[in-house]
Amino acid sequence: MAISFKRLRKLIIQMGPLILLFYICISEFHTQFYYWKIFSFNLQFIIIYYWILRDPDILGHGFVFLSGLINDVILSLPLGTSALCYLFVSLVASYVRNATIRSSLFTDWFTFIVAILIGNFLYFFLTNKFGGVQVEYISIFYNSFFTLIFYPFFWVLFEFYRKFIIAGAK
Amino acid sequence: MSTSRDDFGIAIRSALLQRGAKQKFSLFVLILLSLFIFVLDISELKPIKILRSLLNDGVYRISAVSSSPIKFSGTVKDFFITHIFVYKENRKLKTELEELKNKDFQTLYLQTENKRLQDIIQLEKKSAFTTVAAKVILDKNSPYLNSVIINRGSSSRIKLGMPVLSKGNLVGRVVEVNFLSARILLLNDLNSKIPVMIFPKGSQAILSGHGEDKPKLEYLPEKFELNDKNLVFTSGKDGIFFEGIPIGNVIFEDNKIKVKLFSDPNQISFVNVLLDKSSDLEAM
Repeated sequence: MAISFKRLRKLIIQMGPLILLFYICISEFHTQFYYWKIFSFNLQFIIIYYWILRDPDILGHGFVFLSGLINDVILSLPLGTSALCYLFVSLVASYVRNATIRSSLFTDWFTFIVAILIGNFLYFFLTNKFGGVQVEYISIFYNSFFTLIFYPFFWVLFEFYRKFIIAGAK
Repeated sequence: MSTSRDDFGIAIRSALLQRGAKQKFSLFVLILLSLFIFVLDISELKPIKILRSLLNDGVYRISAVSSSPIKFSGTVKDFFITHIFVYKENRKLKTELEELKNKDFQTLYLQTENKRLQDIIQLEKKSAFTTVAAKVILDKNSPYLNSVIINRGSSSRIKLGMPVLSKGNLVGRVVEVNFLSARILLLNDLNSKIPVMIFPKGSQAILSGHGEDKPKLEYLPEKFELNDKNLVFTSGKDGIFFEGIPIGNVIFEDNKIKVKLFSDPNQISFVNVLLDKSSDLEAM
């Protein structure tokens, strides 16, 4: 019993980022954190990029895809739009993981710019061209800007959590 | 040069095709699958539409439940803030009450005049429509989307394009219908464009949302004269909306002609979806 409880606790801790990703996709997170008509950020991008880059086994590609589909339903976008954006963010993260030997906050932050650009360009292109939804460039710019600004904060937070997971596994 | 290109190719190929120890699908397969789902969804095939509708109903309800803690924390915060300032507010309200008493006579006169004007333009249509009441279950006020989800759908005879009222004033139209839920595109959304009529002169214009609280008036007549008494109603020129549904009053703000909506789109809890004109009115 004690062993199974320990295993369950370990599993829950390991699934923390995944639970967080699904929760923010399903719970109107970005609508709750939208202030002064400019302040909004894409926490999904941050979570996906960080965890695929640092520990891809925590956040499987399949779950990233599924969270994208849920986000599309919530935002009433054509199914697959967010999934594609998220998977391309994952692709950049996987590439950086394969191409670099030693990563730090600054290298991660710098390469995150590429991920945001690709992710948001895809979002804009797919919704504007195929979804019949008008999106303001300026909103996407502000969202990308604040997502980039907030990355170091979440990087530190997730790094702490990752160490917690590693300590729990031992 | 060619070595760095080879390295890039190898790293990208590896990122696309490699699977981790615990991963069942490669990124390449999932990207293809997403594209396939995307193409299926935008092709608007009937079985896909039905499937999406069922999916929407389920996810909206889960979303309503899961977002309740965030909403609750917001309500608690508002409650405390309100109570902190209640004493100050009480004093302010007493002063305002005195002022309002003084204005009472003036209001009475305006009410009489308003009623007379409404008689003239035949806009007394408070019970002129068959409506279905609905509760807002999800409120989407995001940078990209200003819409709400209501707890009524095609099972309550709601159809695409139907106008939606809050306290008798237009707030938006139905843009997505599922069996048990529907999505309302609010008037201030970037994608909302509605033909309107401006009283008392009857000028025609397009009410266009821009993501802000106050939508703009576009395509106004060249010699349009703005004054405080300009009221905006639906014109019904699009053949979708009924004419004469109140929307708001015209204001001049930031060098633009805007409309201050009678019903604040950010404060909607219950709405009425206009199904049809009532049979009483048709009989008239």
